[in-house]
Amino acid sequence: MNLRTLAWKNLLRRKSRAVFTGLGIFLGIATFVAISSITSQMEGAVQDQLDRFGANIVVSPRTEKLSIGFGDIALGGTEVAHSRLTMADKERIASIHHKDRIRSVVPFFMTGMGASGKNIVWMGLPAADVAGARPWWKIQGGTGLKRGEVLLGAEASALLDKGTEGTVTAGNRLYRVAGVLQPTGEKEDGMVIADIADVQALAKKPGAVTYFEVAALCKECPVEDIVVQIGKVLPGARVSAIRQVVESRKAAVDHLRRLGFGVSAIVLLIGGLMVLVTVMGGVQERTREIGVLRAVGFRKRSIFSLLFWETGWVSLFSSLLGAGTGIAVAYLASPAFGIEHPAIVLPPAVFGAVAGLTLGLLGAIPPARRAAALSPTEAIRSL
Amino acid sequence: MEPIIQLNDVSMVYGGNGTRATALAGISFEIRQGEYVAITGESGAGKSTLLTILGGLQVPTEGAVRIGGADLSALPADGLADFRRKTIGFVFQAYHLLPYLTARENVIVPMSPERVPSREKASLANALLASVGLAGKEGRLPSQLSGGESQRVAIARALVHDPSVLLADEPTGNLDSATGEQILDLFASLHARGKTVLMVTHNPANLARATRSLRLRDGRVEEDRLLRSLLSEPAAV
Repeated sequence: MNLRTLAWKNLLRRKSRAVFTGLGIFLGIATFVAISSITSQMEGAVQDQLDRFGANIVVSPRTEKLSIGFGDIALGGTEVAHSRLTMADKERIASIHHKDRIRSVVPFFMTGMGASGKNIVWMGLPAADVAGARPWWKIQGGTGLKRGEVLLGAEASALLDKGTEGTVTAGNRLYRVAGVLQPTGEKEDGMVIADIADVQALAKKPGAVTYFEVAALCKECPVEDIVVQIGKVLPGARVSAIRQVVESRKAAVDHLRRLGFGVSAIVLLIGGLMVLVTVMGGVQERTREIGVLRAVGFRKRSIFSLLFWETGWVSLFSSLLGAGTGIAVAYLASPAFGIEHPAIVLPPAVFGAVAGLTLGLLGAIPPARRAAALSPTEAIRSL
Repeated sequence: MEPIIQLNDVSMVYGGNGTRATALAGISFEIRQGEYVAITGESGAGKSTLLTILGGLQVPTEGAVRIGGADLSALPADGLADFRRKTIGFVFQAYHLLPYLTARENVIVPMSPERVPSREKASLANALLASVGLAGKEGRLPSQLSGGESQRVAIARALVHDPSVLLADEPTGNLDSATGEQILDLFASLHARGKTVLMVTHNPANLARATRSLRLRDGRVEEDRLLRSLLSEPAAV
């Protein structure tokens, strides 16, 4: 028998106290591992969902400001495009090295023209992409858009005095109003939205594209890499990451991570305090036993080691059990947090087990020191 | 014969200003190797305090204590622990066995911080338990032992480091007279094997086995009486 086995036997004798001591660590580590596992998986899921919620890269023709004047007379300026974008560029964008990270490439064609006698801006995009490109649109009276149909922005609807099931005339053609957008606060409130092919045909510019919106899944690659790669395949285009979108996504995920760490830290702290209080109480109860051990020649260091081993055993088992439980809880609870493919995330479990053991041992230091410092006289008086 | 224990003007005062209690008031005596000393006295006479000082569990407020050549007041805390482990064997009135350990494990407890193979420890514990008449009961828990058997385990524990001095505080106080006699016989046999025994006792029967008696009163040695010469026949066992 040595100090390890002596500590182990004492734990077996005081099972309920050992369980109570370990309970704090167990709950702390289980919570930590579960939250960390879920948040780390949620980071991916949230990022994925955020990526689906609109584009984060815009591709437009590169333009140059040209000043026009004669002598000292300035006639203002105009923007001259170096090149034009076409529908064929969509394939080029989709061929970059990180093509697997590109979720969607949606071409837009904008033009101004008459609609039922009023000058108005037309926005063209593939009818099938409306839901994916603008998931926040709420369409009154309709479910989608088809060729030969239009959606009206709220202001455009008022301007044209047209509603759902009405018709809009443009270029000698009649377009059925498939729905009216609820106000968005954006420019599209004043637009007529139609399939891109219809708008290109109305403008007599088949295949022309004003800009592309690219939705890139940026969980595992920086959006800047994708920007550079698109720039290489479309040298005449200006490719811009929408920083606000990228940063807000990062911020959302960071908030989530910080929340997880905050909750875990609080639970772990409570676990550590439980160890401290329980072991301190145990020392108080075991003054007599410590007195006997001191009387038979235990050094202070041996008393310290004994209590350290006891807490070490409890911390080890409760940490391992907590880590295992945390993994299981995270796995089972993942679907409830929108994680479609739950996975066993080992790093938080390994970190949690080590943290639990460390925390338990740290929590045992004050009571162990107190026990070791217990005067043999004081201890022996209780005999 | 050289004295193994020397006390020189030892005083022990508890408490501070206004609440001072004098447990020992300048006592001096010497004990030679192999003596069997019965320490008697009324309650509060200072017997237990004297025993804890002799055992290195506390240091006197005044005076010097030398045991086996070591000046206890000069030893650091770890030095005192080592001294207790190697030189002193304690036997308490209430046995103070650890209830979750078997008899064998209780005997080994003082050795548990030492790097000695478990098999050797167990072998030594078995031999000691056999020497106190507990062969075959090594695996029993204290709750499965009688009072006399528990005290025998406590004696075996006290002997595990083969100390030269055995300190016993009323070792028969919790036992019936017949069992108490058996325990006293055990101490007598240990004394016969050369151990120095100091025993706090109220039991007159113990005086018959002791070679010397120290009677304390109000923290002073009231009477120091030689009962038998060390060279005379050992007491009947």
